[in-house]
Amino acid sequence: MRTLWSVVFCVFLCLAANAAHAVMASESLDSKPVDVGQIFPDLALEGELAAGQGLALGIPEGKLPTTLQALKADVLVVVVFSMYCPYCQREAPVLNELNELIIKRGLADRLKLIGIGAGNSNLEVDVYRKKYGIQFPLFSDQLFTAHKAMGNVGTPFYYFLKREADGRFRVADSLLGCMVSAAGLLDSVVKQTGVEEKK
Amino acid sequence: MIGRFFLITACLFLATAPAFAAEDPAFKDSIFKVATLKPTDSTLKVKVGDPMPEFDLPALDGSRVRLADFKGKKNLALSFIPAAWTPVCSGQWPGYNIAKELFEANDTALLGLSVDNVPTLFAWVKQMGGLWFPVASDFWPHGRLAQTLGILRSEGVAERALILVDKQGVIRFIDVHDINTRPDFAALVNAMQQLR
Repeated sequence: MRTLWSVVFCVFLCLAANAAHAVMASESLDSKPVDVGQIFPDLALEGELAAGQGLALGIPEGKLPTTLQALKADVLVVVVFSMYCPYCQREAPVLNELNELIIKRGLADRLKLIGIGAGNSNLEVDVYRKKYGIQFPLFSDQLFTAHKAMGNVGTPFYYFLKREADGRFRVADSLLGCMVSAAGLLDSVVKQTGVEEKK
Repeated sequence: MIGRFFLITACLFLATAPAFAAEDPAFKDSIFKVATLKPTDSTLKVKVGDPMPEFDLPALDGSRVRLADFKGKKNLALSFIPAAWTPVCSGQWPGYNIAKELFEANDTALLGLSVDNVPTLFAWVKQMGGLWFPVASDFWPHGRLAQTLGILRSEGVAERALILVDKQGVIRFIDVHDINTRPDFAALVNAMQQLR
C-alpha cells in the first residue's frame, strides 16, 4: 500500500514539475487567440510561394496577395511562426513530418498546412524556409497585420480551421507551443474537423 | 525504500519531460519583462563613410575581439543589443543564428555586442542554446565603444543597433533601431550585398 502511494506521489511530483515548462513557445503578453467555434478572420496572405505551391492552394500562377478564404481547402492547419523564435526553429522538422503525413494519409486535397511568419519579411521567411527545407507554403507578415488579426498569439501557435458552407473558416481547435508529435497533431485535426482520409 | 522512490521519480520525470531537450526550456521563463522604452536615447557620433573606431573587447570564449582581426579579410556586421535576458534581444540573435549562410555568402562576419559583462552574456547565450557567431562585452570601461559610436543610452545600455563595416574599416550601414522592436533583417542583408 505504501509503495502504491509512493508511486502516486511520484507521478504527481513529475507532472507538476514538468507542467512548469510544458508549453514550448515564445509567449506573447497580449495574446488573445480567436476562440474555438468562432469565425476566423479572412486574412490577407502575402509573400512568395515556391513553384507549384500556388497551384495546390488554388492560387493561379501563385499570384499574391490573396486571402485565406480563397485557398482551395476544406480544412486548414495554420501555424503561426517566426524565424526568430527558437521553438519554431526546433519545430521545423516536425512541421515537415506533419506535411509529409498529410500527403501520405491522402489528405492533401482537402487539408492544407500553411505557415504565417509573424513580423517576418519575405527574406526572413525565406531564411526559415531554406534553413529547414520547408515544403509547405509559408507567408510573410512583416507588419504583424495577420498576427494582430489572429490575436497576437505566441509562437508556434496552431489554428485548426474548418470551412463552413458559406466559405468562411471556423476555428475547430487551437494549440500554443510545440506539438507532441506530428501524427498526434494530425489525428487531433482529423478528429476535430471530421476531414476524411482517402481510403 | 528511499532508493526505489528516487528511481521511480527519476524515470517518471524523464518520461513526462518535454520531448525537446536541446535548449533549456526554462529560457523563456528567465526573460525579464521590460516596459516600452523611449525608442532611441542617444546621439550618433559616426556616420556612413566614417572609419570605424578601433576596439579591443573580451569575448565569451576568453579571447579578445579587435577590429584589426577583420580588416582586409571580412566585412563586419556589429549587432548591438541593449541587454541580455530581455524580450526583444532574446528574440533577435536566435534569428541570426539560422542565417549563417547569408553572412558567409556576403563575406561578412557577425559580432554580437552588449554592455553586459562576460559572465552574464555567457550564461544568457548558453541558455539560448549557443550561437555560431562571437559575442563580445563592452562592459568596461562601461560602454566605451557604444559611447564612442554615440549609441549609449542615458540608462547605461546600448541602443539596438546594426553597424556594417567594410574590409577597409569604413562604416557602410547604420541602423539605430527603435529599442522596442527588432530591426528588419532585410535592410542589413541588402547592405551586405552592396559590398560585394
